[in-house]
Amino acid sequence: MFAYNLKLAFKSLNDRPSLTILMVAAIAVGLGLFMTMLTLSHQAGKIPMPHISKQIHLVQLDNREVTADEAENFNQMVDLTYQDTQNLLKLPSSGVEQTLAWNTNGILNVEEQEIQPQRSSVVATNQAFFTMFEVPFLYGKGWDSDADQFSQAVIVLSKKSNDYLFGGINSVGKQVRLNTHVLTVIGVLDDWFLARKFYDRSYYQAWPDQAFIPSNFAFDSDLPRNARFDCWSTTTNPGKFRTNYLTELKTSECAWITFWAKLPNHNLEDYKTQLGQYIDSQKRLGRFPRENQYFLTNINDQLEVISKMIGREQMLGVISYMFFAVCLINAVSILLAKFMRRTKEVSLRRALGAKKRTILQQHLIEVVFIGIIGGLFGILFSYIGLQAMLRVSLYASDYVRTAADLMPYHQMDWEMIMMAFTVSVSCTLLVGLYPIWRICNVSPASQLKAQ
Amino acid sequence: MLKMENVSKIYRTNLIETHALRKVDLHIGAGEFVSVTGPSGSGKTTFLNLAGLLETFEEGDFYLDGQNVKGLNDNQLSELRNEKIGFIFQSFNLLPELPLFDNVDVPLRYRGFNAKERKDRIENALEIVGLSSRMQHLPTQLSGGQQQRVAIARAIAGQPKFLLADEPTGNLDSLMAQQVMELLEKINQQGTTIIMVTHDDQLARRSHRNIQIFDGQVSDLAQDQTDVLIKSE
Repeated sequence: MFAYNLKLAFKSLNDRPSLTILMVAAIAVGLGLFMTMLTLSHQAGKIPMPHISKQIHLVQLDNREVTADEAENFNQMVDLTYQDTQNLLKLPSSGVEQTLAWNTNGILNVEEQEIQPQRSSVVATNQAFFTMFEVPFLYGKGWDSDADQFSQAVIVLSKKSNDYLFGGINSVGKQVRLNTHVLTVIGVLDDWFLARKFYDRSYYQAWPDQAFIPSNFAFDSDLPRNARFDCWSTTTNPGKFRTNYLTELKTSECAWITFWAKLPNHNLEDYKTQLGQYIDSQKRLGRFPRENQYFLTNINDQLEVISKMIGREQMLGVISYMFFAVCLINAVSILLAKFMRRTKEVSLRRALGAKKRTILQQHLIEVVFIGIIGGLFGILFSYIGLQAMLRVSLYASDYVRTAADLMPYHQMDWEMIMMAFTVSVSCTLLVGLYPIWRICNVSPASQLKAQ
Repeated sequence: MLKMENVSKIYRTNLIETHALRKVDLHIGAGEFVSVTGPSGSGKTTFLNLAGLLETFEEGDFYLDGQNVKGLNDNQLSELRNEKIGFIFQSFNLLPELPLFDNVDVPLRYRGFNAKERKDRIENALEIVGLSSRMQHLPTQLSGGQQQRVAIARAIAGQPKFLLADEPTGNLDSLMAQQVMELLEKINQQGTTIIMVTHDDQLARRSHRNIQIFDGQVSDLAQDQTDVLIKSE
């Protein structure tokens, strides 16, 4: 009987194909927009390095004035001052990896190559950055602690920079210019996909940095500091620290450097104790006028706070849900019309011995088919929608980001494809229940006399 | 074989009750050819729908082939209908997009026969009605009389004990009506009980027995005559 009902369902789809096409189109268009938004949200909600993200903590100390507002979460709290980063790096915390990061920029160039010098975003950090964040290397490796300590002129290039500057060859040992400084390439990154760039707290998607250099070297070279300076005490006009007044900055109460600690569970409490002790010690020096307040926030918790702030996706998401609902309502109207055209046939079949459950099965199969076909076209429309959103993102970034950078955030993975089918079939079934119920309850005697 | 005792059918709306059939007592034996006549709106089709298990009734008992159908659920009624009853309609009620073979196949599918059994039965039924050479034709390629013969083939393919015909010649000219009637008589001679609703007195006279329905009340002429004879004795 199933095979027979399958045949009837197929036949029914071919009967009045315009209605079938309309129905599939309604589902596919609604699903396409819905899945476009869901995929963007899904990709945006991904956690970078999910296997260790709960161990990687942003460290923040509250060095603000007594009158400053209470901070409810990490996003309302300042980062670290230069002096605090240096002190924390010297904490006798066994087994705890710590790193810092701040953004600078410069012109990257290779003298012997005939290429245009490239304005590049550069991260100033320390050697632990690469191990803590499990950064993949194509050639070479990150620098060692000596390079940090002695401000060695070494540089790690991103794969893209290496492709641009050296044509993709192994450039370890070669020299590049960063503004007027000559640095030796010590490593080249492999493709490093981060769902969100967390380490500078920008949480950007697809905004990779071009190079990484030791923080101390960046200070010694007086490279520009692209940061927001949250300054307290007597400091005025903090913008001046971007390019000048380094000595003053180093001793100021200006917080601007992101600081990270990798804290497996067994280290967390010890680290908190050490932070408390550190703040107490600084209080004795007249710093940290507020209560003993610090924030340790892992990546997951950061993204939870950040995702609530991204209103655009949420608004588009709500619009897409509503649009999908409208499309489904249209689909159910068409389905009802299609089924109700068939009352005479169903009445006859019931008279000839078809049970209600047989009629139910036949129409369920048909609805599932419509759901599957709607799902297939919905995925196609989602692809088109995601491509369109990718173009929008490219435009929004003034084409600084490339399509290749943005692609991972604008494509459906298997999870999303399966989700599309599930949503399509289940929603079509859900809205198809009423038409199916109506057709199953057609009385066998109701339509036989009429002609 | 088919026995109704005190059967009533009432159609209800919020405002009114319509007694379509009132306390019908009737017995139709195996192999009978019974015609049902009466004016329009008298309840003939309702009677046929009840007899064919297409509708339920409020009061009384109805025995079909010895089984009381009162209280049977929808599934049980569908099975019984499929197995024991064949329908012939005035407007043929063939599925226009299906070839004759598939039209005759419909009740057999719901009976659960295997493919070979179905094929044999379909070929045999179409042979009986003289359309075995046109199995793959669509109904629209046939005349009205031929379409009704296909409907008869569909009705008899499952070899039911009852054939219920609702004005089977109503849409046919006299020649085709004659052919269809002869076919029904032939089927009846092979043992199938036939109940035929008709407006045509001439056709009614060809049946073994005529039941008249007026205003929902059945007048079984044969039974009435027996009663009169008993009283006169």
